[in-house]
Amino acid sequence: MKPHHWKWLLLAGRLGLAGIFLAAGIAKLREPWAQFAVSLYGFKLLPDDMLEPIAKTLPWAEVALGVAILSGIWLRWFALLGSLIITLFLGVLIRSYAMGLQVDCGCFGSGEALGPMTIVRDSTMLLLGAAVTFGAFRIRRS
Amino acid sequence: MRTKLITLTAALALLTQSVPAAAPTTGAAAKNYKLSGSPTAPMTLEVYTDFECPSCRNLYIQVLPSFTAEYVATGKVQLLHRDYLLETMHKYTRTAARYANAAGQMGKYDLVSKQIFTTQGDWSQNGNIDAAVAKVLTAAEMTKIRDIVKNDTHLDDTVTSDMAQGNKDAVNQTPTLVVVKNGKRTKIDGFLPYPILKSYIDQLLAK
Repeated sequence: MKPHHWKWLLLAGRLGLAGIFLAAGIAKLREPWAQFAVSLYGFKLLPDDMLEPIAKTLPWAEVALGVAILSGIWLRWFALLGSLIITLFLGVLIRSYAMGLQVDCGCFGSGEALGPMTIVRDSTMLLLGAAVTFGAFRIRRS
Repeated sequence: MRTKLITLTAALALLTQSVPAAAPTTGAAAKNYKLSGSPTAPMTLEVYTDFECPSCRNLYIQVLPSFTAEYVATGKVQLLHRDYLLETMHKYTRTAARYANAAGQMGKYDLVSKQIFTTQGDWSQNGNIDAAVAKVLTAAEMTKIRDIVKNDTHLDDTVTSDMAQGNKDAVNQTPTLVVVKNGKRTKIDGFLPYPILKSYIDQLLAK
């Protein structure tokens, strides 16, 4: 594959990764913040007093990260950050699934019960994030 | 003249017989027992529950008492209970709703609903809701409630209308809360811990 092919591939991956974060953030922002707090509560991971601040800020952070990745500025670092965040989410999902929790994922707004397909989808998202991060570092060096 | 009087008396007697002694309350009047709080409250919280759903029990036992004390009793929010029965999963939920709604006709909705939720772990095993309700009502009240549960063909009318509204609200699980303010309906699916509900309601009231 020629170098400019890699660039197009990276652009496509970047748009995909940015789209994921934008879609996730906007879907949550379209609902009342209390709805996302319900999902966070269901994971039984956070103390109650942390639910509200996280429910209010995380969707904005996702949108900001999506915009940053879309812009291409500091792509290596934002793609790396995005990949780390997806890793964190995936870890929480796997833990919750293993614990048998019946929880609304809340990943792209409400209404999605956590199941194997959720984990498969998030794993695919992580692969995409890792590929974009790797590609961004690789192109930077070449 | 005498014949006319006899005919009139007979007609009146027939009419009297055709009206049940204790006609079931239906329609708007029947909704009242599910609604509490001041009619001038700026906001209504509609709560869709299924009597056999464990998260609904948690909401009813852990959240609604504090919410009622802080917002309903003080005139800030009206609270409307709505039945949303998940009968494919819960085989006794309709019977439980019939007991609660029958109690509502007798002015005992809150007492009996609370008892049904509190004893959910018992009757959801054997379906004996009657025994659970009998613990909080007198023998005379139980006779009346059994009669309503058994014979009132309109008893499920509020359930039907609640579920129709639930379908309009796109309810897909219980509990589901719908906050109604200035005609706008905002839905929140799932169990909400009281501090979160309180914070959310406070923000809406402050707007």
